[in-house]
Amino acid sequence: MSFDWWTLGLQTVNVLILLWILSHFLFRPVSEIIEKRQAEATGELSHARAARAEAEAALTEAQARDEAVAARRAEVLSGAQAEAEHAKVQMLDEARREIAKLRTEGQAEAQRRRAEAERALQDEAAELAVDISERLLRRLPETTRTAGFIDGLAQAVAELPGQTREGLGAEGPVPVRAAQALSPEEAGLLKSRLAEVLGREIEIALTTDPSLIAGLELDAPHAVVRNHFRADLDRIRQELLRHD
Amino acid sequence: MENPLTLEPLFHLGPVPITEPVLVTWAILALLALGTWLATRRLSLCPSKLQTVLELFVTTIDAQVRDTMQRDPARFRALIGTIFLFVLVANWSSLVPGIEPPTARLETDAALALIVFAATIWYGIAAQGLKGYLATFAEPSWVMIPLNLVEQITRTFSLIVRLFGNVMSGVFIIAIVLSLAGLLVPIPLMALDLLTGTVQAYIFAVLATVFIGAAVGEQTPSASASSSAKETRP
Repeated sequence: MSFDWWTLGLQTVNVLILLWILSHFLFRPVSEIIEKRQAEATGELSHARAARAEAEAALTEAQARDEAVAARRAEVLSGAQAEAEHAKVQMLDEARREIAKLRTEGQAEAQRRRAEAERALQDEAAELAVDISERLLRRLPETTRTAGFIDGLAQAVAELPGQTREGLGAEGPVPVRAAQALSPEEAGLLKSRLAEVLGREIEIALTTDPSLIAGLELDAPHAVVRNHFRADLDRIRQELLRHD
Repeated sequence: MENPLTLEPLFHLGPVPITEPVLVTWAILALLALGTWLATRRLSLCPSKLQTVLELFVTTIDAQVRDTMQRDPARFRALIGTIFLFVLVANWSSLVPGIEPPTARLETDAALALIVFAATIWYGIAAQGLKGYLATFAEPSWVMIPLNLVEQITRTFSLIVRLFGNVMSGVFIIAIVLSLAGLLVPIPLMALDLLTGTVQAYIFAVLATVFIGAAVGEQTPSASASSSAKETRP
C-alpha cells in the first residue's frame, strides 16, 4: 500500500476549490432566492394580514355605522311617532274645541234666530192685535167716536202747564182734528168744556181725520193733546214692540 | 489485475505528479462548476423544475443541518452540501466506463476527512473561542482528555476508512466479477454500487455535520454526537 501526499494535497485543494465554486454558484444564489421568496411571501402575508385587519376594521366600522343608522332611524321613528301622536292629540283637541265652538255658535245662532223669530212673531202678533183692535174699534157706532172723548180731551188740556194753556188760542183758532165730523152740539160741548178748563173762550178749527178711528186731537203751537184710539193703539203698539 | 492500493501518476506538472483521482476530480469539479453555473443563471421567484430541484436540495441540506445542530444552517450549508455532492458524484463516477471513482482512493478520502477535521476545529474555536473549545476536551471530566483527543483522531480515520473501504470494495468486486463473468453480469452490482455511493455520501455528510455540531455548541452534546456517529456506521 502506498500513500501519495501530492495527491492528498491536490485533492484537498480541489475540494476547497469546489467548495468555493459551489458556494458561489449554487448554495448562495439558491439560498438567496429562497430567502427572497420567503421574504416576499412574508411581506405578502403581512400585507394580506394588514389588508384583512383593515377590512375587518372597515367591516366593524360599517357595522357600527349601520347600528348607529339603525339607532338613529329608531330614534327618528320614535320621535316621529311621538310627534305624530302629539299632533294627533293636538288636532283632536283642536277639533273638539272647534266642534264645541261651532256647537256653541250654532246654539247661539239658533237661539238668536229663535229669539228673532219669536220677536218677529211677537211683532207680527202685536201688529195683528193692533190691526184687530183697529178693525174692531172702527166698528164702533159713529156717535160714540167723538162724544165720549170730549171730556177726556178737556181733562188732558187741563193738565197742561199753565203757560201752555195760556198760549192756547192766542195766535188764532186752535186746530182740532176729529175722527169724524162733529155735530154742532158736539162742537159746542167741546168749546164749552175747553172754556171751562181754560177759564176763557177760545176759537177752534175743526177738521176730520178718520185715521184717528175715534177721538180728538188738539194741535197747539207748543203742545199736542191727543185723546183718540189711534194714539192709544200707537202707544200699545210701541209697548208691545218694545223689546227690553 | 492492478493493485487498487497503489497509485501511479499519469503525468507530471513540473515536480507534481498528477494521478487519476486528481484528474477525475478536476473533471468532476469542472462538471459541477459548469452545471451549477448553467442551472443558477436565471433563478426567479417562480421556479422552474430544475430550480425546484436545486431548492429542494438546498432546503434538505439546511433541514439536515438544522435538525442535527439546532443552529442556523447558513454557515455550514456550503461545506456540508459540497461534501455530500462531491462524494455522491465521485461515487457515481464509477458508472462511467474506465473511470475509477476518486473516493476509491485513500488520498481523496483523507483529503475530505482532513477538511472535516479542520472545519471541526475552525467552527469549534469560532463558536466557543480557543479556551472554550479546548475545555470541551475535558468534558465531562479531565480524565477524559486523552480519550477525547484520541477520539478526534480516530473518528477522522473512521471517516477515511469507511468511505474508502465501501467505495473501493465496490469497485474491486465489480472489477473481479467483470473479469470473471460476462459484460452484463456486473450491472446489478453496479446498481447496488449506486445505492452504496448515495448512502456513503449521506453518511459522510451527516457525520461531518455531527462532528462540527458537537464542536460548535452545547446544544448538541459531544457524547450524544459521538453515539449518533457510532450508530450511523454501517
